[in-house]
Amino acid sequence: MRRMPSLGSAISSLVAFAVGMTTLLSLLLGDNPELFGEQPGREILAERIAAPGDVMLRLATLMVALSIVLGVANLLHVHVLRLRRHSLTSAVLLASFAFTLYWHVAQGDATLLEAVLVPIESALAALLCLSLVHGASRVLQKRADIWGALFVLVVIIVLLGSLGLAELAPVQTMRDWLMAVPVSAGARAILLGIALGVIVAGLRALLGQDRAYRG
Amino acid sequence: MSEDFNWLEEARHDEPQTPVAESGRRRLFSRLPRISLRPRRPGLPALPPLPRLFRRQRDEAPSSASQLISEREERPLEELDERLRDLRQRSLQGSEPPADQPLYNVDEVLVSPEALNPGGGLIGAVALSKAQEEQVELLRDIVDGATPGPSPGGASPGRGSPVALTTATRLVAAVFVLLLASLPFVSSDFDFFPLPPADFEARRGDARSLYNALDNLRPDDRLLLALEYGATAAGELDPLADLALRHIFAQGAQPLIVSSNPIAIARAENIIREINRSVMRANLVVEAGAHYHILRYLPGGALGLRELSENFAAVARYSSSGAETGLDIASLADLQYIVLLAESAETIRFWAEQVVPESAETPLLAITSYAAEPLAQAYAESLPQIAGLLHGYRDAFSYGEMLKSAYGMAPPIPLTPTLEPAPNTTATPLPASSTPDPTATPAPITPTLDWTPTLIHITVQPTATATPDLQRLSTAPPGERATPSREDLDDPANQPGEQAVAVATVMAQPTSAPAATIAASDTPGPTATVASIRVVEVISPQQVRIRRGPTTADDILRLAQAGDRFEVVGANGDGSWHQIALEPGLNGWIAQFLVEELVMTEAEFRSGSASLPAERAVLLREYDWSLGKTGPRYYQAQPPSPADLHEFAQLRDRHQEGPRLQAMSLGALAAALVIVLGNLVHGVGALLRRRGASAR
Repeated sequence: MRRMPSLGSAISSLVAFAVGMTTLLSLLLGDNPELFGEQPGREILAERIAAPGDVMLRLATLMVALSIVLGVANLLHVHVLRLRRHSLTSAVLLASFAFTLYWHVAQGDATLLEAVLVPIESALAALLCLSLVHGASRVLQKRADIWGALFVLVVIIVLLGSLGLAELAPVQTMRDWLMAVPVSAGARAILLGIALGVIVAGLRALLGQDRAYRG
Repeated sequence: MSEDFNWLEEARHDEPQTPVAESGRRRLFSRLPRISLRPRRPGLPALPPLPRLFRRQRDEAPSSASQLISEREERPLEELDERLRDLRQRSLQGSEPPADQPLYNVDEVLVSPEALNPGGGLIGAVALSKAQEEQVELLRDIVDGATPGPSPGGASPGRGSPVALTTATRLVAAVFVLLLASLPFVSSDFDFFPLPPADFEARRGDARSLYNALDNLRPDDRLLLALEYGATAAGELDPLADLALRHIFAQGAQPLIVSSNPIAIARAENIIREINRSVMRANLVVEAGAHYHILRYLPGGALGLRELSENFAAVARYSSSGAETGLDIASLADLQYIVLLAESAETIRFWAEQVVPESAETPLLAITSYAAEPLAQAYAESLPQIAGLLHGYRDAFSYGEMLKSAYGMAPPIPLTPTLEPAPNTTATPLPASSTPDPTATPAPITPTLDWTPTLIHITVQPTATATPDLQRLSTAPPGERATPSREDLDDPANQPGEQAVAVATVMAQPTSAPAATIAASDTPGPTATVASIRVVEVISPQQVRIRRGPTTADDILRLAQAGDRFEVVGANGDGSWHQIALEPGLNGWIAQFLVEELVMTEAEFRSGSASLPAERAVLLREYDWSLGKTGPRYYQAQPPSPADLHEFAQLRDRHQEGPRLQAMSLGALAAALVIVLGNLVHGVGALLRRRGASAR
């Protein structure tokens, strides 16, 4: 038998529902004086409807910004604790944090970003690329069927079609077709799926089915 | 008030009356049990026993608030899906932070790393469902080969084992791809592949629209430039950001740079710093506040973008450094364009969902990574507000070549490292005379440079005849700079006549040498005239149809994009249709409301764009894709010093776009070879094994 919700849960669900619906209606109906026809003072009315949504939006972005600060503080706190257990990676992380902070304050430029972050992330992306190439070279070993062969064929067409060689013009045409039709169709399907998923997730949050706010 | 909440009223009567200082709500709430929103976990202390008041209420009213409080529990585990149960299980394994820690209770929001990552290491483990784990296992099997199991005695896998074989083939494949991809950096003998076209292909109307849109910006136009990419995509999107910024600055427009990615804000500063370095010898500085603004960081992803679209005035109020920008912009509708540089498909989705619907009057120009192109294309075909689309490194090359072709063929600026500031930079008012004398020879015009930390300005100081129209360009009060604007150059009143030609020549052949002189012989002769022509420019963000006749029933000859220009050769009776020249011998008709009418010289029209003021064109002229951002033309005035050569070599090494494109192509070819050969070997082996197994 399903239990009755607790008071805290009921209150938090109610608050979430009220805030969510207010924001939703405010964003949907606010700043649209034409919705009220020729009614006098419709601009003021539209502004007033928009106001709660604006306030909620600003509060939410403010909280997100503060959560970043909280996240940094939590990260430092955790790694300071781990430092007591002689964790080398934590020591490196804390030293990097301190040095980056010092550099930014002392130099005021983003040299470290260019010299460290960009090369490291680019190298990671390159490693991923090499892993994918090697993985694609072994697909038929693990999956010697029509789908594996189709996958390999598509990969080859896309890679060769991007070379721009006149001798490979038919491959280029096939690649363009692949990008324009199946890939585009897949992208649209993903968009539709995301839209439906967002609607469902929003409704579940509004109705208290999903309580990410821990009510 | 419902019956469930009567306990609050009763509480007031049950409690003994106390002095004011101790009574009332404070005392009442001090006796209430602490309501914790934390889930109950094993090992946590139980809630304190309920006071008598609540115990009575619980017994009397089964659905009372006190009962709800006392029976408060999390949602039953069986209602959770498998992934949430796994996550919960992992979080229960974490240790509770001690109560005296400053961040106690933060674990409600941020799961402790011990819970996420019981095995240690910087990167936490992720909770996966069984189905996901199976798929990960399959992927791991494909990519890594056989996972090494615990070998007896802890010995490492021996030579010839599947793991060693997989490691060896992976190493060979990586070395092969890396070797081929690095060859173009060693020698140009390996430049096998054609570079991307120097113009966007005909089918890439969206790319051409983007170029035209930026090329037709007017001085003082403002646009939003969203840099939505991080360090991973910097190699791919930095060149596009660089080119777009140069293009915008060269038009005299003001970009307002914004991002929901803090890395991108720092990158924007770096890119502009590099632009300034590349043109510093032209005494040109692009300054924050004057020529661009970097607005504050937008936190919260989609939420931040929503705030941007709803409250743009508030976002534009502060710069990334926290200073007030002084911008007076009410909404996104006040901007000319939104230019979005996006790394991921998700970013494009956020902008399409949160910003585009709120800024229907402001066209969006999208520049994306190659990976995000399919989704961007889907949006571009669906949303009429998306007026242009570029993607990937190859488009960056074409874009750069187009800019070079449009603006880089002008005579080089004879810059010298020994450029000195001009002592006197005030403009001299023109004589109030004079009627143009068609037989007169134009007098020498002396441009001087103004050593200022802002954009370079050329002061025209004619010593002979001038028309009243030209006088307007140069009659700034003493001490102020007279800067001919692009409108001035486009003004039909300034076009005909030899003096106008003389000014235009100064713009096209600038010199930064102090007191340099452009002789009159450099200009057309006194009898030369520049004819103006009527031109229409497509302003509709959507594709427009050019028809065979002035009605919508006539056949469609071709489609045109925003920014396309055509010479007008006629009009219908009521002026609602323009007859335009499409090609020699072929005219078409275009509706009047879809275009804007311009007047320009034929040379400007043929060059594809109106001439830029020279002081801003240097931004584009100094960009050389094949050799780096400052090419040898830079040093034509005099031999470069060793220091100059060193700097040039550094720049060339950092921006080897040609070799990079060759390396990309060779890398793709190497990857294709690895995949084909690997699958041939592995596929044949698998078939043989399968056949052998079935035979047994």
